[in-house]
Amino acid sequence: MKLTRRKLATAVLVPAAAALAQTQPALPRNPDEELKAARDRAKSTGDALAQQTVPMATEPAFQFRA
Amino acid sequence: MAAIGAEVFFATIPELNARLVSKEFSAEDLARAFANRLEQLGPRFNSLALPLPQQAIRKAQEVDKEIKRGRLRGPLQGIPYGVKDLISFAGHPTTWGAKPYAGQVFDYSATLIENLDAVGAVLTGKLAMVELAGGGGYRYASASLTGPGLNPWDRTRWSGGSSSGSAAAVAAGLVPFALGSETSGSIVTPASYCGVTALRPTYGLVSRHGAMALSWTLDKLGPFARTAEDCGLVLQVIAGKDGKDPGSAGKSFYYTPQYARPMKDLKVGFAPVDFAERAEAPARAAFAAALGILKDTGVQLVETKLPQFPYGPVLSAILAAEQASIFESFITSGKVDELADPAQIAGLKASLELPAKDYLKAQRVRRLIQEAFSRLFGEVDALVAPGRSGPATKLDQRLDVGGPPAPAGTAPGFQGIIPAGNLAGLPALVLPCGFAENLPVALQIVGVPFSENTLLAIGKEFQARTDWHKRRPPGV
Repeated sequence: MKLTRRKLATAVLVPAAAALAQTQPALPRNPDEELKAARDRAKSTGDALAQQTVPMATEPAFQFRA
Repeated sequence: MAAIGAEVFFATIPELNARLVSKEFSAEDLARAFANRLEQLGPRFNSLALPLPQQAIRKAQEVDKEIKRGRLRGPLQGIPYGVKDLISFAGHPTTWGAKPYAGQVFDYSATLIENLDAVGAVLTGKLAMVELAGGGGYRYASASLTGPGLNPWDRTRWSGGSSSGSAAAVAAGLVPFALGSETSGSIVTPASYCGVTALRPTYGLVSRHGAMALSWTLDKLGPFARTAEDCGLVLQVIAGKDGKDPGSAGKSFYYTPQYARPMKDLKVGFAPVDFAERAEAPARAAFAAALGILKDTGVQLVETKLPQFPYGPVLSAILAAEQASIFESFITSGKVDELADPAQIAGLKASLELPAKDYLKAQRVRRLIQEAFSRLFGEVDALVAPGRSGPATKLDQRLDVGGPPAPAGTAPGFQGIIPAGNLAGLPALVLPCGFAENLPVALQIVGVPFSENTLLAIGKEFQARTDWHKRRPPGV
């Protein structure tokens, strides 16, 4: 089969673009969806932190000096 | 008035200083030339927030009188510069890059502006930035009062954020140096994308008094310039104890390249995967060559692994909690809705709901991160990684999602080096190291807290062997 440059470019680039699109979450359509997406991100941040074990004696990395 | 040649716009600080002291041109000549250039070309890259030509000329005239009297104040005397528009300059608008703050004026100047003023540096303008330094998380480069930062190397590409104007102005020769800020990536990213040298100082080394607070425990201010040496000369002036900044480390900085450790004594950790599979394909050749040049400086390159922590979530939680407190009334009043980027608006609103336990957990994990880096720096003196994995993104590219994932099983490398370095308060030097798709790419060298002289010494050796930092964007 004869493959033109255009067909070759389509064969290579379209799947790559599709793969990239699959990794991108859909754009929120309105402010409510934006806020939900932001809350979901905050929730996943909290979930990731919950999985991290910290020794009980470890104090936060800020200091109060009297 | 002496003629200012085009090469002056890309001269280093010592070169400009030598020509001022020898009276080849006056500080006023220089200030007029740079102020005109910034006003004319700044808008072409959306890099200018506020021109200050009259103030600059007045200051330069004072400097000329001092030089005439033999009162020399060091290498920055008479050197024009710009500051990111989150740094206050008394009596002039400080917009924080955001429409709701467009009319904001402070009656005091930031400590670092006072420090620069004291040595005779000449402020010629304020430089554009991503709105509120992007703390809410923005989706597009257009998240700015002045429009998307346009890259001087290719205006269809982003100049990076959030110190967009600082990097672009230095790259285009509109100022010899500029000040920017970093909470997580806001110096490293634009410097990498615009091909300029920049330094993120150790947390607490440079006073933030007079700069917009985004995160009290993460914010740093630092220079963008032509060379590592220029960064050292600027840092020497802006670093130091400041009682007005509760985060001040109380330390000074003296740029002392003459006392640098021999390169052969330095161990620099790296992860090969960062320069291969994890780098974008067009940039790999430049990164590989840069690693070779770094080795030629004499440093020992040592394969190293970054301690494994959830750096992104830890940083996100700390940033969200601190910005929520800082901007609480701005968010609850509804003014937040006047921002340009919908993702940033939503991110700021959601940050109000972050549980206290998440913030405290993040700060406790941060302590473990700090300890892990302390152990790592028992084995190596510095770390090297790409500044960003590839060249500047396209203007319409979404910034809230990553690129294509690396193939399954790819080692993590130093993937989290930007949040990790910021969480541990580590200094980082960005060095232009080549081109990909006709756009600059850069290395970042990260060091132990307060090891800026070591990083600058490595940078100076690297730049003695390369000319990437001397390249000029087309058409400027």
